[in-house]
Amino acid sequence: MSLLAHELRLFLRQRIALPTLILMALLSAAAVFSGIAEVRRQNEIIARIQPQQAEDVSAVRAWVSKDGDAGSAAYYTFHATWDTPAPLAFAALGQRDVAPYVLRVRALALESQIHEGENYNPEMALPGRFDWAFVLTYLAPLFLIALLHDLHSSEREARRMDALQVMARSPLGLWMRRIGLRVGLLFAAIALPFAAGAAWSGAGLLDALIILALALAYLLFWAAIALLVAGWRMGSVANAATLAASWLALTLILPALALLAINAAFPVRQGVELTLAQREAVHGGWDKAKEATMQAFFRHHPEWRDTTPVAGGFHWKWYFAFHHLGDLSVADQINAYRNGLEARDRWTRWLGLLLPAVGVQVATHRLADTDLAAQLAYQDRIRSFHGELRRFYYPYLFNDVPFREADFAKAPRWARSPF
Amino acid sequence: MSRVTRIAAHEWRTMRRSRVAQLAVLMLIVLSVVAALTAIAQRNNSDALRDRFQAQADQEFEGQPARHPHRMVHYGHFVFRPLPALAAFDPGVDAFTGSTIFLEGHRQNSANFGDVRQSSLLARFGQLTPAFVLQVLAPLVLIFVGFGAVSRERESGTLRLLAAHGATARNLVGGKALALGGVAALMLAPALAALLWLVVAQGAPGLPALGLALAYVAYLAMWVLIVIIVSSFAHHARTALMALLGIWAMTTILVPRIAPDVAVGLAPLPTRLETDIAIQRDLRKIGDSHNPDDPHFAAFKARVLKQYGVRRVEDLPLNYRGLLAMEGEALTSRLFDDYASRQFTEQRRQGGIAISFGLFSPAIALRSLSMALAGTDLEGHRRFLQQAEAYRFDIVQRLNRLQAEAVTYDDDSNRNKDPEAGRRVRIDAEHWHEVPDFVYRGAGINEKLSAAFPGAVVLLLWLAGSAIAIRLAARRLGEALS
Repeated sequence: MSLLAHELRLFLRQRIALPTLILMALLSAAAVFSGIAEVRRQNEIIARIQPQQAEDVSAVRAWVSKDGDAGSAAYYTFHATWDTPAPLAFAALGQRDVAPYVLRVRALALESQIHEGENYNPEMALPGRFDWAFVLTYLAPLFLIALLHDLHSSEREARRMDALQVMARSPLGLWMRRIGLRVGLLFAAIALPFAAGAAWSGAGLLDALIILALALAYLLFWAAIALLVAGWRMGSVANAATLAASWLALTLILPALALLAINAAFPVRQGVELTLAQREAVHGGWDKAKEATMQAFFRHHPEWRDTTPVAGGFHWKWYFAFHHLGDLSVADQINAYRNGLEARDRWTRWLGLLLPAVGVQVATHRLADTDLAAQLAYQDRIRSFHGELRRFYYPYLFNDVPFREADFAKAPRWARSPF
Repeated sequence: MSRVTRIAAHEWRTMRRSRVAQLAVLMLIVLSVVAALTAIAQRNNSDALRDRFQAQADQEFEGQPARHPHRMVHYGHFVFRPLPALAAFDPGVDAFTGSTIFLEGHRQNSANFGDVRQSSLLARFGQLTPAFVLQVLAPLVLIFVGFGAVSRERESGTLRLLAAHGATARNLVGGKALALGGVAALMLAPALAALLWLVVAQGAPGLPALGLALAYVAYLAMWVLIVIIVSSFAHHARTALMALLGIWAMTTILVPRIAPDVAVGLAPLPTRLETDIAIQRDLRKIGDSHNPDDPHFAAFKARVLKQYGVRRVEDLPLNYRGLLAMEGEALTSRLFDDYASRQFTEQRRQGGIAISFGLFSPAIALRSLSMALAGTDLEGHRRFLQQAEAYRFDIVQRLNRLQAEAVTYDDDSNRNKDPEAGRRVRIDAEHWHEVPDFVYRGAGINEKLSAAFPGAVVLLLWLAGSAIAIRLAARRLGEALS
């Protein structure tokens, strides 16, 4: 222990040591702080929309309930959905700045609603967010390089190396102590703010520990690289340059090349194709024989088969039937699109096993529930909610039940998020 | 001058002997070439794809059968944002903005299917484009190659040797800068060749391309100066390297991420959902078309009846329902424009805050300037949104006018009860051909230059600051030598 205390004294006496650690801790704390502020803002928005949404619904209720037309109720009422940030979202804000986390849907065809985007400033999103995952992935290795690049070489350059090796009881122990001390202190600088943030946000202990373990493993990876480079016995300067070049390759160049490869390997133009096709299918519904449309619809919803046939020029149940058939007609494309997106995500995860920077990003964003998978999961919840909405309105439409004021409150409500 | 060039030539030879320097420069050039080739291919593919989708959408619109005009209002139209040729150099925010909007009556939809939402997290690591290579990677390579230019000579004592041979500190600093500038020129070559190719073969506008070339030359020149300045001040090569790495990480990695966070925090945008609700609320205040006794629509009706000198809407020479649709669309459209312009104002404020961080980060200034000249900045997207909205309003009103003129009020009112009337309200498909296609007008040279202006000013400030600092560095070095 006294050996370690001695090493600590030696280390802190270095000019670069304390400023590096303090700066790391400050950056980590700032990132945690800004992440928490962003998550709080998102929660506030989710809370803020509730009364606005209620007011919007009540305005529709005011005029629809006069003649009780269920079709108008289904057509004009929007239903809010939202995706509450997970407790760990503060650490890795991920895709939540470019994908909506609040979205309103109607019982109309879903495919023309679910891909809607959010109002955000793309120039602000372009550089990426300043969050804890960024500090860990990009900055921490640079700080570690600053602390470790001259561990061996400076002793050699100061011609103390031989004396050190002779005097140390165990040379291996000496270097392990020195490296362990630096990695440990840097880890503390980056981990403590995160731990405080995680505790503040009420994150699960296990998830937080996994992230901390990953962070430590990531730092150890970079320490191993530093050791490897030190083994080549170059000067401090060459060490630093080599390590910085490795950092450049591992965190910027290779991920960018991988993105090119993955996006080229899995094109996802089905997104546009399916919306174009869905529109044709939905609007084609106006020109098809009503009976054929209804029969096609009954194949998916046989429970309404025995209701009164559609007569005359227009009936809401026919309208909602062909809207739903429009969605169903592009089911294959939806699957293909989804598969394309998932393949991109899957290959990124595989890549994460090779490139630690990608691996850390993938894992933190997964645990923070802010990655593509989280976005798709939100869409899945919207899809099932939309199904509930349709099934809520169908009895009114198919049984010709008037939709009264009290019925608005019976509509399915977006369930609270799992967090 | 010959002494300066001699020193530069000597420095070149030294650098060429350094394996690290060679490798770094070579790697950057290869990356630059790869980035240029893939970015050109990618931009051509995306643009062709969008073009094809646009043609398909146009064809589908015109191919619609005889319909009630209001059906066409809801059938709507898709428009696609073409990618300018210079997007192959700097795609800017293209991946972050959707490239297609569905246009329909009464609603303003978002631009969808941006690449970032369709990509894994990798997209946030940065895209390999010529612009990215030059903005982020090239300065780092200049640092690797040049950090020791003066400091190593100082450390090894050769500096005094040179001074003894009559070289002044100014000669020395100038020569080193010239040598490193040569490296920068080498690294710029592939990107400049790509720019030239875009102008010659792909029809990119010449002046913005020239502006881009000058901006990147200025940016790398500034980095050459910064590297030499730090190298002159530092007593040890290692100090120079660590200081430069710190400056680079701060200005190209850290500040560019902090700036937008601050800007978004200071000027938050309302969510789409809230804007939607607010527009509906305002609309109800102006006039509620669902309320038969609404004062606004009652006044509108009275005005129309008076204009045509009739007492009942049935007696109008035009279909009142079409007129009503036109009035309703005009109201919503005005609100859309209002809210959009408020949003654009906030976004501009965010951009202004972010660019002021350019004083701490030349990369921010260059990025903004570069996107503006390439036509792939927020302004470009905004132009698309505005033109799409104008086009939406135009086609919807054309269709509403058709409803007013080509469909009788009687038929329109009885279309669901009387099959004959239902047949008559479906007007001839010929009418869909009369609707013009969407033609996107990209930014003109003046618009590009004015969008690029703030970035250019900040970048020039950096260049001027570096030029002053290098004189100081030379003076300090001179004092150390004498």
